[in-house]
Parts: sequence; structure tokens; C-alpha cells
Amino acid sequence: MRDQTIVGIAQMAVCRAPRGLACLGLGSCVAVILYDPAMKLGGMVHILLPKAPHKCDSDEKYADTGTRKLVGELIAKGAKKERLVAKLVGGAQMFPNLSLSISDIGNHNIDEVKKTLKELGVKLVAEETQGNRGRSAYLNTENGSVTIETAFSATKTI
Amino acid sequence: MAEQPGRVLDIITEFANIGAGSAATALSSLLDVELMNDATTCEILPLAKVSDYLGGAKQVVAGTYTYLCGDLKCGVLVVLPSDSAKALLQHLTKESVELSALNTIQLSALKEVGNICLCWYLIAVSKMISVDMIPAPPDATVDLLGAVLDMPLASVGAKVDTVIAVHTQFKALDREFEGYFLMLPEESTLKLILDRMGDPRQ
Repeated sequence: MRDQTIVGIAQMAVCRAPRGLACLGLGSCVAVILYDPAMKLGGMVHILLPKAPHKCDSDEKYADTGTRKLVGELIAKGAKKERLVAKLVGGAQMFPNLSLSISDIGNHNIDEVKKTLKELGVKLVAEETQGNRGRSAYLNTENGSVTIETAFSATKTI
Repeated sequence: MAEQPGRVLDIITEFANIGAGSAATALSSLLDVELMNDATTCEILPLAKVSDYLGGAKQVVAGTYTYLCGDLKCGVLVVLPSDSAKALLQHLTKESVELSALNTIQLSALKEVGNICLCWYLIAVSKMISVDMIPAPPDATVDLLGAVLDMPLASVGAKVDTVIAVHTQFKALDREFEGYFLMLPEESTLKLILDRMGDPRQ
């Protein structure tokens, strides 16, 4: 396997082919994966929570600020917003029977990312989200494809 | 807390040792195996590093999770590596178990094991510091460790960037069986525990 950067919770990374990017073991967290095909430039942010509070401790932890920061970082590295395509992985409900307000956090994360992408005018082209299984996502920066692994099911590429 | 993090961690470790000891005793009698607790370790970690500390986000584990409401706010997890979860379920249900497709009885057994551990953990620590603890009914899943940890981390991560992971390993003496308890206290909970157990700052 080629070299890749692992993006942990509340972290962000941007890189150019051939180096890949990966988020491992996504549950209710969402990997926001952006790719500029013309530059073979990819970026990933691993968000934990939907909406940043007024006084925000870390942009990368939240869906809204994390997505914005990633788009900004890619543009700073030479990407064009019109060329960017977004893919989403994660946002599962890992403990559906737990009666807590936070049980549905995965859905909230996805909604907030989609809202932010729409505001920014970035196209969402594919997603592998919701359900109640964990996922790992690997971005191939040569072609923008995202491979998804789970604990028990077959590997899938979007 | 910033002045003497070492002593704070010592107190939390002692707290968790007592809880884990009680939980391991309950689990021992349920399974009829002799369990031994290893020492509790207590680490202050950034959110991104918790799964690495526990052995990597991609390993498959059985996790039972509950969250304490009330005065003490804290996530508590019982985590079993996949081999141990399988052995435990086969022992309890006397049937062969496929972790990728647990039936209702098997999933319920897994939840119940977690429930018993969590309750005994809580009984011991709530007596010690005289605080009522109200756990939400637990839920269980078998999946990638990173995914199992997401919601517990999201519940404490709303307020902080680093979490205190309190980890107590248990092992069967005569069988291939092991697992660990993980406590993720919120900061207000930490303060309460420190107050009740003798705050080193005073």
C-alpha cells in the first residue's frame, strides 16, 4: 500500500498524489473528503460534533468550522472551489438503543456538513453514511476514489 | 488541576481501581472464572490519540457503553477484544457465536454482561464518595474500536479537547479471556470526585 496520512479525531490533513489519506474507525464521526481532480489534491477532516459553539476551541472538531477550514486550506494550496468534489463517510448510530440526546449525533453531523457544503457551493458527489456500523475511509489521491472498509462486510469504493 | 496533575491522576486511579475491583468480582461469579485486575492507568490524551492508546482504531471489539446522568457526568465502557467477546458469549449461551451476526439473545447477553459490570463498578464508587449515580440503560455493539469510541468521546468532547481515559485491564487466570473498563469523566465530575476523595490542592 502506498504511503498515507492517518487523520485522527478533530484533525485535518491535505496532500497531493501519490500520498493517500485515511480516517480509521469512524462511528458517529464524519470524514469530510474533498478532492480537486485537476491538481490531484485531496483533503480530509475528521469531525466529532455538529456545530461549533460561539467560542470555539478547535475548528477541526466541528462539522461547520471543520468543513470551512478544509475548503480554505485546499484553496490556499491551489485548488479551485468549482472543481472540488466532496464525499462523506461515517455518521453512524453506534448505540441506537441508548436513550440519550447524543445518540443521534451522527445524523446531526451529516446534516451540518451538508448544510455547510451547500453554503460554500461545493458539490457532494457520493456518501456512505448512517446505519449502525463503523467504517474506515481511504482516499486515493490519484483518482479521488474512496475505499470503505468495515469490520465484517466487503470493501466498497465510492 | 494544572499544578499537580500527577496527584489528581493518582486519586482518579484509586477511584477507578475500587470500581473495577467490584465489577471484576461480579463478572467472576457470573462467568465462574477467576478474574484478576491489572493496575489502573490514567492518561490525559488529546481526542485524536485515545484509540491509539487503547491499541488502534481498526481492531474489532465488543463495547458496552453507558452514560451517567445526575451529579456525576461520565461515560463508562466495558471493552472486550473480539476473541474474548466470542469466548464469553459461547460460555454464556452454550451455542456457537458469529460476531458479525449476533442474534438477539447473544446481543442481549453482551449488554447484560456490560450492565452487570457497570452497575457493580458504580455501586462501589458511589458508596465511596456518597454520590448517587444514575446510569442510562447500556447498549452494546461489536465493531471497530474507533467507531465504538466515537459517541463516548462526543459526549465529553463537547467541552474539552483532551480527555482523561481511566483504563483498568482484567484477565482470567486460567483462560484466554481479557478486557478493560474505560471511564471518561467530564471535568465537573472530576472536580466532584477530587472534592470527595480529598483534593490535593487543599
